[in-house]
This record gives sequence, structure tokens and C-alpha cells, in this order.
Amino acid sequence: MATPASNTPTSTVSISAGGRSVGRLLLQSGTVVALILLIVFFFAMRPDVFLTFTNVRNILYQVSILAIIAGAQTVVMVVGDFDLSVGATSALAGAVTGALLIGGVPIPMAIIVGLIVGLLIGVANGLLIAYLRLSAFVATLATMTSVIGLAYLVTEGTTLFNFPAEFNNLGQGRFLEIPLPVYFAIVISVVLWLVLRFTTAGRRWYATGGNAEVSRLSGVNVKRARFIAFSVAGLVSAIGGILLAARLGSASAVQGEDNMMFSVAAVFLGMTVVRSGVANLGGTMVGVAIIGVMSNGLNILGVNAYVQQVLTGLIIIAAVTLSSLKTRER
Amino acid sequence: MRTRFKALAALAAVAALTLAGCSSPSGEPAPGGEPAGGDEPFKVVAFTSGNQTPIGAWWVKAMDAKAKELGWDMTMIQGDFDFQKMNPAVESAIGQGADVVVDGYTDFASIGSIVTAAKDAGIPMFAIDSGTEPSDAFVLNITTDQQGIVDQTLGAFDKALGGLAGKTVMVIGHDPHAGIRLRASLAEKALKAAGAEIANGEIQKVESPATGRTEALKLVADYLAAHPDGLDAIWVGWDDAALGAAQAVKEAGSHAVVSGVDATSEAIAGIQAGGAFLATIEQPWPSILDDLIKQIEAYRADGTLPSNNFEAVQANLVTKDNAASITPSDKLG
Repeated sequence: MATPASNTPTSTVSISAGGRSVGRLLLQSGTVVALILLIVFFFAMRPDVFLTFTNVRNILYQVSILAIIAGAQTVVMVVGDFDLSVGATSALAGAVTGALLIGGVPIPMAIIVGLIVGLLIGVANGLLIAYLRLSAFVATLATMTSVIGLAYLVTEGTTLFNFPAEFNNLGQGRFLEIPLPVYFAIVISVVLWLVLRFTTAGRRWYATGGNAEVSRLSGVNVKRARFIAFSVAGLVSAIGGILLAARLGSASAVQGEDNMMFSVAAVFLGMTVVRSGVANLGGTMVGVAIIGVMSNGLNILGVNAYVQQVLTGLIIIAAVTLSSLKTRER
Repeated sequence: MRTRFKALAALAAVAALTLAGCSSPSGEPAPGGEPAGGDEPFKVVAFTSGNQTPIGAWWVKAMDAKAKELGWDMTMIQGDFDFQKMNPAVESAIGQGADVVVDGYTDFASIGSIVTAAKDAGIPMFAIDSGTEPSDAFVLNITTDQQGIVDQTLGAFDKALGGLAGKTVMVIGHDPHAGIRLRASLAEKALKAAGAEIANGEIQKVESPATGRTEALKLVADYLAAHPDGLDAIWVGWDDAALGAAQAVKEAGSHAVVSGVDATSEAIAGIQAGGAFLATIEQPWPSILDDLIKQIEAYRADGTLPSNNFEAVQANLVTKDNAASITPSDKLG
């Protein structure tokens, strides 16, 4: 019986090419493979718990707000920037909505004002970055600082609560046993995906992120594209913040502040999913899923919170390294 | 050139306005570190890193009111948990002359350079809730009795659960806060001694107070997903995280009871609503501040220093029975 070693030189070449293609495939789909491996690992460790309906629903509920904010971050990262103020914007939008609700403003009006607040912060970021040419890092760091201050002013440093039950139901209610924020996250993600994939605006964002100068010379209004991307990010972050206030039944100035860091991490993780290595919504959702599965799985295994933080950082480093390897390969 | 000059002038104007806005309402302290005497104003340097917490914000206002009432020349420095910013500012104020330094809610472990500056200048430091054990850093630090807090909250569990032996209790703490760290470890010890089982075998740590509620919610939700009905009680070191734990209990349909510490309005409302939130702790900060002020005034009068450098005051258990009569900690002022 012939062994692979006794094959002809031609077949040896084909094995080598096959090995390279397997390596490439692993590199290409490393993040998705990582997600699958995490699921398999946690399922193997706790088969009685991990993939039960209750726990899967639990994971989806926990990542729903992050998914929305990571969607906002994806839009900005598609145009080649990033937004440090998404967490602060969401906190302020939630706080404004909460303060208005406590003041007796009808729920739809309070939500609309909260959304407008988020949109205005996005508009301010867009103006500073697209038209005044500030770096996204400096501009969004500055707006983040001011927005946190505004949130403290709105909440007077306390936690706002006692919202109407109908409002809290937006974050705590269920439809077909699935929490409503999960549906909101799915709808917003699908809308953002459609915009990025099938609209002129989406293509302009990708073109701007790919090479702003070439895009400009090709007739793309780069400034407007970046301005709109930041405005959309502000608005979508506000949706996340309002839903978080409804989910917790309260609002504070620093609520959900870790969403900024995790949203950037999710987008970076997602960038490794596609061959081009650019931000994309599907990839971001894979990134969000990795973060959610990691956190839930490690909690179920009773792993210390500090160890969890170390592991999360390592996963992000691994993903970014993978992404840079892919870029080099291109 | 003209544009540059205008920009410079505008920058100078903004800087001047900012500095004016940041300066102490009671005026700039005079130089020198001599004790107050005669008609000289009593100079106080007060600081807190926790001014963005409800209790810290109350303390800033309360100290300002006391300073005005007593005719102190007080400089209040608010640190926003940023010791790199706060410590040099306090040291600078001490260098400009003060009779006493007052620390509000800032653990002595974080202010070593301030302690040294005050000692070098021969100025006594008084403190409120700035450490959970006696320290030479202060001539007096008044805080609450952490063991008493644990005894009372676990007593409430004991009563509600018909004993603690054999019960599974999750303990949620936050290490960077000295008070929470101590009381969480005391709770863990007391629960083990009472025969209870600690969920996950150790104290569950929340990493950031800012996200304490969502972190606690996740911890409890994940635990209950893995162990349906696997918790009898959740002991949490502060109310905000306890509220997250209580929400997770409600969402999971668990029967577990939850306790917190702080007596915030939201926690009190939760207790009154009769859900999972069983009890919290009221720490009597206004009366503690009054006691501290008395001691400072005694020093001001004739240089008398407190006989002990540490006092731990008994806190009060808040349950459904007395919740209506409690002033929430976030409504103190």
C-alpha cells in the first residue's frame, strides 16, 4: 500500500499547496474558527448548561447593547477612523431620556430627544473631524470628556431611576421568550449591513476608508462621507444608550462605559474575518459573539474576573496579530 | 500676526476665566504653615477623590457649608479619582499654608505624598472614611464599622432564609475600594463560619464601579443559567452592584435574596417594592461629619488633638420595616 511519502513529485507539490491553502484558510477564517472553538470548549466543559436555550438567550441578551454600539463603531471604522465617544454618547442619551421621563415627558418624546442628543454629538464629531480636520483620536477624546461632564450635569452625579414601566419594557420585555433588545440589535445590524453593502453611501464609506485621496479624486465627497459616518455613529450609539437605560431601569453618567473599548475590540476582531481586512458588520458581530461567549463561558466556569480580563486582552492581541499577518500576506 | 495675537489673547482670557472658575470661593490661602491664632482665618485644605459619587458630592457641599458657618478659609480640591492630578494640587495647597488638612473618602493608601507633605509641614490631617484600619496618616479618621455592616446584613439573610447553614451565597466585591474589600472578605469569612457555601468558591470581583451594575447582573445571570435555583442569597458590597444582582434574580425567576450597602434611593425603593432586594445599610455620614467638625474645632480652639486616631461608627440596617424613614445617601444634600 502506497504511503504519501512514496507519491510522485507532482503529488508532493499538490500536498504542499494543499497545506498552504489549509494554512491560508485557517488564517482567513481564524476568528470564526476561534469562535467555534470557544463554543465547543465551553460546551465540552459544561454540556448541561452552555448551549441550553436559557443560556444562549442569556448570551444574546448580554451582548445586544454591545452589538448596537459596535455597529456604530463599525461605520466609523469603515471610513478609516474610530470613535472614542460612543460609550459616553450612549450614557448621555440614556441619561437625557431618563431625566425627561422622570420629569413627566411622554416616552416617545423623551426617546426622540435622547436620539437627537446622540445625533448632535455625532454631528459635532463629524464637523470636527471632516471639516476642521482634527484627528479622530483627539476630537472624539475631547467630545467624550465633555459628554461625560454633560452626563454628570444631567444626572447630578446620581443614578436616575423610576422610569415608566412601558419604557423599561423596551429593555426588559420579551417576545417569544427572547428579550426585546435582541430584536433591536438584529434589526439595527441588518439595516447597517444593508447600508454598508448595498447603498452608494456605504460604498463611499468603504472607498473613503480604503484611500481617501483616491476617493476624492474619483469624485467622492470624502468630507461629507466622514461627516455622515460620525453622525450615524452618534445616533446609533444613542439607541444603544437608551436601550441600556431601559434594560437596567436606570441611567447614570458612566453607564456602559466599557462599551467603547469592547466595541473597538469587536470591530478589530471582525476585521480579521474578511479577506480585505477592513471593518465589516458581519465580522463585527462575530467579534461581539466572541466577547459574549468568552465572558459567559468563563463566568459559568467560575473563572476569576481578573483572569477573564487578561484572557480578553490576549484574544484581542491574537486577533489583531492575525489581521496584520493577513494584511502582510496581501 | 494679528490673528496669532488674537488667538493668544483669547487663550489668555479663557485661561484666566478657567482659573477664576476653579479657584476656591473662600479665597486664596495665605502663605505660611503657622497654626491659626488671633484674628487670622483658620485655613483648611480639604480634598476628596470621590466627588463624582453621590456621597462625595454631598460631602463637598456639606464641607463648604460648614466652612462658611464656622468662618474657615477653606480650599476644596476635587480629584475625580485622578490621584496624579489631585495629590500635587493638595500638596501645593499645603505648601501655601494651612492649619489642618481634611481628607474625604480617599483611602490613605492612595495619598502617601499628601501625608508626607502634611507631616513635613506639621499640619494634622483629619479624615472621614479614608481607610478601614487605624493609620498614623491621620490624627483622626472616622468611618463605619465594617464588621457591624456584615453582621447586620448577614443577620437579615439568616432571618429571611431560616439560617445560613447549607445555603449557597454569592459574595460580590470590588478590591480597589478599601471598605468594600474589607467587608466582602469579612462577609465571606462569616458565611463560611456559619456553614454557608460560597458560590464559585470565592468572592466574585467587579472590576469597575462605573459598570458595577452590569457586571454584577452578568455574574449572577450567568451563575443562575449554570445553576438554576442555585443561589439562596447574594451579598454585595455596595448598592449599585446589588441592584444589578437583584435584577438578574428577578429575570431568572430565582428566589434568592440580595443585600447591598449605601442606602441609595433606588435600593430603598427596591426594598420597599418587596422584590429580591432584602436589605441595605445606611451609613450615618452627616452625624459622622458633625463629630469630625467638632474635633477640628477643638484643635482650632486650643490645639487639642483627638485621643484616638480611628473611630468606627455603627451603621444602620435598612429593611422593608424602616425603609420609609431613611434619608437616601444620594439625597443627603
